[in-house]
Amino acid sequence: MPGGCRSILWTIVWSLSACVAAQAQAEHEHSSHEFEVFLAGQALGGSGQPKPRDDNSWFNADVILGLAHDKFRVFGEYFITPDEHDLERFQVGYEFVPDTVLWVGRFHQPASAWNTEHHHGRYLQTAITRPAIEMWEDEEGLIPQHITGALIESRRPLGTVAGMQFSGGIGAAPSFSNDNYEPITLVDSNPGKHGLSLSGRLAFLPDYAGTSSTGLLWSHDQIFIRTAAAMASLGSSRFNLSIYGAYADWTFGDWRIITAGYYVDVELNRPAPDESFMSGYLQAERHLPHRLTVYARVEDSARMQRSRYVALFNDHSGDIDVTLRGRTGGLRWDYAHRQALSAEMARVVSPTDQRGVEWRLQWAAAIP
Amino acid sequence: MPKLALMVMLGVGLLLDCPAPALANEELVLIVSAQSNIDQLDSSLVRKLFLGLTVNQHGDRLRPLLNESDAKIKDLFLRNIVSMSDSTYDRYVLRLSLLQGRQQPVVYKDKNSLIHAVAADPSVVSYVWAKDVVNNAQIRIVRVIWHD
Repeated sequence: MPGGCRSILWTIVWSLSACVAAQAQAEHEHSSHEFEVFLAGQALGGSGQPKPRDDNSWFNADVILGLAHDKFRVFGEYFITPDEHDLERFQVGYEFVPDTVLWVGRFHQPASAWNTEHHHGRYLQTAITRPAIEMWEDEEGLIPQHITGALIESRRPLGTVAGMQFSGGIGAAPSFSNDNYEPITLVDSNPGKHGLSLSGRLAFLPDYAGTSSTGLLWSHDQIFIRTAAAMASLGSSRFNLSIYGAYADWTFGDWRIITAGYYVDVELNRPAPDESFMSGYLQAERHLPHRLTVYARVEDSARMQRSRYVALFNDHSGDIDVTLRGRTGGLRWDYAHRQALSAEMARVVSPTDQRGVEWRLQWAAAIP
Repeated sequence: MPKLALMVMLGVGLLLDCPAPALANEELVLIVSAQSNIDQLDSSLVRKLFLGLTVNQHGDRLRPLLNESDAKIKDLFLRNIVSMSDSTYDRYVLRLSLLQGRQQPVVYKDKNSLIHAVAADPSVVSYVWAKDVVNNAQIRIVRVIWHD
């Protein structure tokens, strides 16, 4: 990053930091907010990664709108970076029984263990980066994440303390372009054909109102390919992507474990043979004194390097688009109310055995 | 010796006569409007309510108000109602808006404004020191959350 840009970055980051801190200290008589804004600024360096990925913009803002009136809900998430801005989610919901909401709109498919918990806001995730298998579509993500259609989310008690959570989605899947998925956008045209997407999650909650959960994930997407090059690579104009997974997000004392494993089946039109691969990760976090949290993450996969489907996501720009294996470690410091500084180091390996080392520094905040 | 006994008696007398410590007989209570139909709320329902989940009674959706008028009340709320640390609860309510579009509970820094807000809305539930509402006809105490 050029020195001028770096100084501008830190000027903005510290100005925002001061504003947030001042606001947090202000004594309001009372407060209620329809808007939440998650801000993050980061510096990135490393080797073996000649060009940063799309998600590595130096600044991003995730603006959340939530309105509730009686049983009706309106919810929106608008993500802004210097390079892009997009209405990531827009949902209108009706809570027809307590803790059971039927949504219509564009949503994050429930079969992602990470994204349904953290979404786009960086402040709420301890690590700076997300696991490679959980990347968004415009980050060369291997799994469709944004679906437009209907989503039902329900939480039911199980005994006196525990609970079950069910989420099911049906809608239009993304299409596939040159080297990434293109989900339906609500604010622009949608060229190409979009197939059916089905997705679901069934989870056990040891505490109905708590944050720990473990469960099963499933999705099935019918994907239409838009470009001749991708069709030629796969020998097919469309494919079906089925995902079977399991996850756990468990907090006990000062420890938190987040783990997920996915089996991905790619069903191609005959005569092209079907293929499959597996991917998973384990992240451990430990709270320390002085509002510090240390974390480490291991990512691994099987048969990914032999997959023609995975090879589609290589945009030949020289950077590591898909991660085969990864080791990540970092430290987060929640130094002020709703503000955190993080440092992270990662070693990644691509399907073509390209190796990279990345380090990141991040400031993240939530307003108000 | 009689002089010493006199001084001890005087000291004991002064101790008995002095005002009680600030925490003596303090009670943190759950309150609703006197016009509210809300019955007894058990601790699991109160926890669900203040963690942003839906709690209905007699067809009314209950709304929680957070009392942050003093640090001790906030500390007792975190320990006795939601059973979370300050930072964990803060992250939890932030997640509410991201996960399900739920609004975070409204925060009051001034106890008089909070009491007026509770009195005015039969669907609202909050918590205050008992001494601040015990003679208020517009407020009904639902349960004791904590006492010293």
